[in-house]
Formats: sequence, C-alpha cells, structure tokens
Amino acid sequence: MNISFETKSNFTVIHLTGRIDVTNSNDLETELIRLFEDDRYNLLINCAELNYISSSGLRVFLLAQKKVMAAQGDLIICSLQPMIREIFDISGLSTIFKICKSEEEALQKI
Amino acid sequence: MEAKGKIQFVLDNKVDELSLLSAKVETMADLWDFSDSQTMNLNLVLEEAISNILFYAFDDDSEQKIYLILEYDDETLSVEIMDSGKPFDPTRQGPPDITLPAEERSIGGLGIFLINKLMDHVEYCRKENMNMLTLKKRIK
Repeated sequence: MNISFETKSNFTVIHLTGRIDVTNSNDLETELIRLFEDDRYNLLINCAELNYISSSGLRVFLLAQKKVMAAQGDLIICSLQPMIREIFDISGLSTIFKICKSEEEALQKI
Repeated sequence: MEAKGKIQFVLDNKVDELSLLSAKVETMADLWDFSDSQTMNLNLVLEEAISNILFYAFDDDSEQKIYLILEYDDETLSVEIMDSGKPFDPTRQGPPDITLPAEERSIGGLGIFLINKLMDHVEYCRKENMNMLTLKKRIK
C-alpha cells in the first residue's frame, strides 16, 4: 500500500494505492490518526488505485467515519473499483459512507 | 486448455505469511483464468479465515502450522484450511448487523461475514484435534 496526500479546498485528499490488508491496515490507521491530531476532519479518500481491501481495511474506514462524524467533519470515498465497491455493498458500508464515482464529482459536492 | 489443479500450502502462524500466500494465490488464479474480482475474493476469504487462526487460535507464541489446500476443477473452487488451535466454528458466529448507522456499527466481526457472503458453501468440523474449514465456490 502507498498513501499520498494533497489538499484541495478545505479537504485532505488521500490517495490509496495497492492493497489494504491485515499486514498494513495499521499503517493507514496511524496516518489517519495523524490527520485527526492536526484537526483535519474533512477527508476525501481516492481509491482509484486501490485493488484489494479486507475486513481489516474496512475496519479502519469505519473507524475514520466514526471519528469524522464525532468531529462534525466530512468523509467522502471516491473512485472505488467495481470489485472493491462490491465488498462495500456486501458489508453494508455503501450506505454508511458518502461514495462518489470520481474525484471531480466528490469535489463538486464539497 | 486444461486448467485443473490442486495446490497445498503449509504456513507458519505468522502474519507475514499472508503476503507470501496472496502472491502465490494470484499466480494460481491466473493459471485458472480467474477474473480480478474472483482472485481478490479468493485472497480476501483466505486472509479472513487465516488471520482469525493467527490471532485467536493459539494462546501462546509457539510455532504452529496452518495447512491449506486449494483445488479447482474448472467449475468449483474448493478451499480447505486446517489448524490445531482452539476449537472454533465460524459457521456458528452470528452475523453483524450491517444495517446499523456508523455510530452504532461494530468495528469488528466482518471477516467471517464476508467469508459466508463470498462463498457458496462453508462447512466446519473438528477432527483429531484439528479445526477443518471447507469452503466452496462455483466459479463458472
């Protein structure tokens, strides 16, 4: 997994590349906690290059959503590949997260 | 092209083994002509089942082995996972309530749920002090 960040409007855009699994989901959690410690609760997670996620990764997404909601921030997930989207659907997470087809669509909604 | 095949793995009870396994599974899945989605789902199911064993089956840090057999006969994918850890029947775990809003959603419990959702058949038995989990999925 590779994680990179950029700032657009008042959002932190997080680009995830590769796999999020049980061996590296803690790294993602650490990075997100670091953002929260900086008071950055408006997050757009771009998953265009994410090609694998397991329950350990979903757990981190859900944890982030809880923290963002508690801080009245905003978390948007965009550009999910269809196979990842299917895992979100099966897990009932598609109704919990704001999911956009593309980063452009997400930025228009901000 | 004949794409039948069976492959066996013996894994140590270390989390790093999962990365090595996923690479090997991808190679097999390529050979079996699985789609990207089918390959991801197979790796996902294996990760969920094996990480449960890694984290919960053994009380101490002793070295243990996990045995895995993957078999595909051009129609059905079969997975067998065996370990000598504590008895644990994943088919008897209640599903998490996936309709709850984020505030109330439990952080854990999705792994076994995903196994049940992604596979057609999930069967557990305890045999000679081993947990044996059999998973089947019709692929084509």
